Amino acid sequence: MSASYLELRGIRKMFGDSTVLNDVDLTINEGELVTLLGPSGCGKSTLLRCIAGLTEPDGGSIMLGPTNIGELPPRRREVGMVFQSYALFPNLTVYENIEYGLKMRGADKKERQSRCEELLALVDLENKKDAYPQQLSGGQQQRVALARSLAVQPKVLLLDEPLSALDAKIRKSLRTEIRDIQRRLKMTTIFVTHDQEEALTVSDRICIMNNGNIVQNGSPEELYAKPRTEFVARFMGSYNVLSREEAGRLFGVAGGSAASYALRPESVRLLPASAGEARRDRRVADGTIESISVLGNIVRYSVVSSGVKLTVDALNDGQSHRGEEGATVALELDPSQLLALEKEGA
Amino acid sequence: MIKSRAGWSHRALMLLLMVYLLLPLAATLLYGFAKQWQTTVLPESWTLEWFGEMFRDLRFLEALWTSLYLCAISVALSLAVMLPAVFVITVYLPKWETFMKGIVVLPYAVPGVVAAVGLIRAYSGGPIDIAGTAYILIGAYFIVVLPYMYQGIRNSLITVSAVELLHSAELLGASRKRAFATVILPNIWPGVIISTLLSFSVLFGEFVLTNMLVGGHIQTIQVYLYRRVGESGHLASAIAITYFLFILALSTVLMKLGKKMNGVAEK
Repeated sequence: MSASYLELRGIRKMFGDSTVLNDVDLTINEGELVTLLGPSGCGKSTLLRCIAGLTEPDGGSIMLGPTNIGELPPRRREVGMVFQSYALFPNLTVYENIEYGLKMRGADKKERQSRCEELLALVDLENKKDAYPQQLSGGQQQRVALARSLAVQPKVLLLDEPLSALDAKIRKSLRTEIRDIQRRLKMTTIFVTHDQEEALTVSDRICIMNNGNIVQNGSPEELYAKPRTEFVARFMGSYNVLSREEAGRLFGVAGGSAASYALRPESVRLLPASAGEARRDRRVADGTIESISVLGNIVRYSVVSSGVKLTVDALNDGQSHRGEEGATVALELDPSQLLALEKEGA
Repeated sequence: MIKSRAGWSHRALMLLLMVYLLLPLAATLLYGFAKQWQTTVLPESWTLEWFGEMFRDLRFLEALWTSLYLCAISVALSLAVMLPAVFVITVYLPKWETFMKGIVVLPYAVPGVVAAVGLIRAYSGGPIDIAGTAYILIGAYFIVVLPYMYQGIRNSLITVSAVELLHSAELLGASRKRAFATVILPNIWPGVIISTLLSFSVLFGEFVLTNMLVGGHIQTIQVYLYRRVGESGHLASAIAITYFLFILALSTVLMKLGKKMNGVAEK
């Protein structure tokens, strides 16, 4: 794996008066799958389109290996892209769709045929090769789109919210499939999504974007365990974000210097109100359960303690304490789980 | 029970509407075949004389032919100009769309008589002296079908998400021209054909502009019909019916194509 295969420097894009991309820097290693994660309008899709050459950035450079692809038209960039709407050619069959790029690049018939067979097998659609896109399900269409962009052996594969039009079950199986294929082909891939769960499952590295900036960049574990800012904490999970004053009230100490703190919902334990002494390094606070929702394998409680509303997750194993709405409970809090957050934009 | 009663009243209403719409047509048809029709409800005697006379009249066939080729040239010209223009606007210059939308409704806003008088004044004399010729008529026809062609082509482009298709073709290595020819054109073609046929039948039925612009010089089917009305009601009825059947055939082709296109989309 060589370092920095794709390198973006200072990518800037304005739409009218609003800044969509604010001097974005990003480096991606060969064979890596990097996810751009963020809410809609954060600039992630625009960044992807800048790499593909479909949107022209106002400034910055895009290097792919030794080539500055920023100055090339899309068809010379050797970048493959799968669109959210798949954009399959309705007048061509599955086979012809996959063959299209090879034809445009002047591959001979024999080569085209062997490559198409190979890809049809890869996405498991050999029996659908003569079907038209309209005759396929959403998941199958997405696999054709993937095969079509892989056929021309691009140096980088861009996936623009490829799974967002599919239902939950297919989405889950397809994302695993995409990840498998990516690993097998060692394809350098950029995956755009607004779904944090999707990002956590498929990525080698996640870049969280907000307002045209990459606000944090790291492995899925790192981002989940150590969000740096309030935005990341809220986006990555159902983190409780506490102000310094609230953290002080809950933990009984006036905390450090940070303006806000994050507390993972699964780090708080619910105990019956009559629970005895806390363990030495823990603190027990009283609280009232406001609402309970069962999310399959976990139960999510909303608890108010010392005027602070907390989300508490407990494993739905029938063993941990289950209060009722309105019941008074004790909360076991671990001060070492309190994460200091940086100020936004710092 | 309620359902069937509602069906009955609907059917009665439909029947009434059909009678209202078709009665004049049926009367025209009967009149075209009638020999004597004075004081009775139905004609007293029948004849094929009027249709025979019409088809024997060389001027009728000439007028039909003139109309056909003038409409065909106008529509072909419109297609040749509008197809690339609308494509470029929709795909590359979406900012111009608001402007274009305003432009294409103008032909609706200006009454035919006003447009005709304006055109005649502008093009009789001066550098472009084409009043009374086929050129001015083709030019005017081009404007008349502008809304149909623009909307039809634009809707087809939007329905197939032309921009995304073009982008994916380009990323797969196609040049813009090649992408247009291999991916865009085959997909918008059914919609474009329908707009073309629609435009054709609109022009074929247009009378006001045609009569005022070239009525004295070029005999189109509309102008011919207008002339013959004064001579014999029977003959005019025969012409009107033939003309109607022609338009009906054209519309049927149009609808068949429309169904075929939907069929392809639903496959």
